[in-house]
Amino acid sequence: MVVKFVPHEKAIRDALSGLLFRDVEIAQGEPVVHSATELATTAVYVDDRTATAAVVIADLPMSAYAGAAIGLIPKGGAEAAIEDRELSPSVKENFDEVLNVLASLFNAEGEPHVRLYQTFGLKELPPNDLIAISRTLGRRSDLKVTVAGYGAGRLSVVLA
Amino acid sequence: MKILIADDSKVMRQIVTRTLRQAGYDGHDIVEAVDGKDAFEKVVAEAPDLVLSDWNMPNMTGIELLDALRGAGNAVRFGFVTSEGSPEMRGRAEASGALFLIAKPFTPEAFRDALDAVLV
Repeated sequence: MVVKFVPHEKAIRDALSGLLFRDVEIAQGEPVVHSATELATTAVYVDDRTATAAVVIADLPMSAYAGAAIGLIPKGGAEAAIEDRELSPSVKENFDEVLNVLASLFNAEGEPHVRLYQTFGLKELPPNDLIAISRTLGRRSDLKVTVAGYGAGRLSVVLA
Repeated sequence: MKILIADDSKVMRQIVTRTLRQAGYDGHDIVEAVDGKDAFEKVVAEAPDLVLSDWNMPNMTGIELLDALRGAGNAVRFGFVTSEGSPEMRGRAEASGALFLIAKPFTPEAFRDALDAVLV
């Protein structure tokens, strides 16, 4: 059983603003592809048979801003992470929790049960099959996400 | 009142605490537990008035925690705060004696709706 619908942009915005306790704006954006040159966080979501159901990829600014905002870490902490091209352990852990809760976006009535299975940090390249999914053309949403008080990053949601 | 928050994510325990405050439940004594096993021990030792528990946690899940408490004759008021909000899980939570299930991501209003009904 596969996830049939890409989560609606409004659902993504509501989930993020609820989690981060601040306004979040969403607009169409460019796809994020986790690579050796583009640092990103990749989250893999699986169904009850542990088959990949969806992949979410967040670029470095999105990972840093959302990971800082959820933990009430000041904007400067996120900007330092972007400049250093590295997330502190707490920002990484926080952003992993954001990705964990985003599993709820896929769990609608009549849809398979989906949960976060694994995340790949900025410098941990995901395996090729996941990269391939992240490059799929259909069934995806590529967003520019602006976290009020922090800044903008990019987020791609791709169904397997 | 003493409220025990069980979640393996530190930031989520902070968020639950913050949301409680925003929902108007201020000034309560908060106890944190990092998983179901830790929560079981702290419920026994600290006798909280309410447990707010995640579902998926290492060592002992939230539903195992609830079943273990009820099996030990402990009737502490218990609710789930979890990203697992499927109808099956709600049914299972209720069957084990949970008072409510708040789905993540949640709002202060969701906390008020759930807690006003059980905190008298």
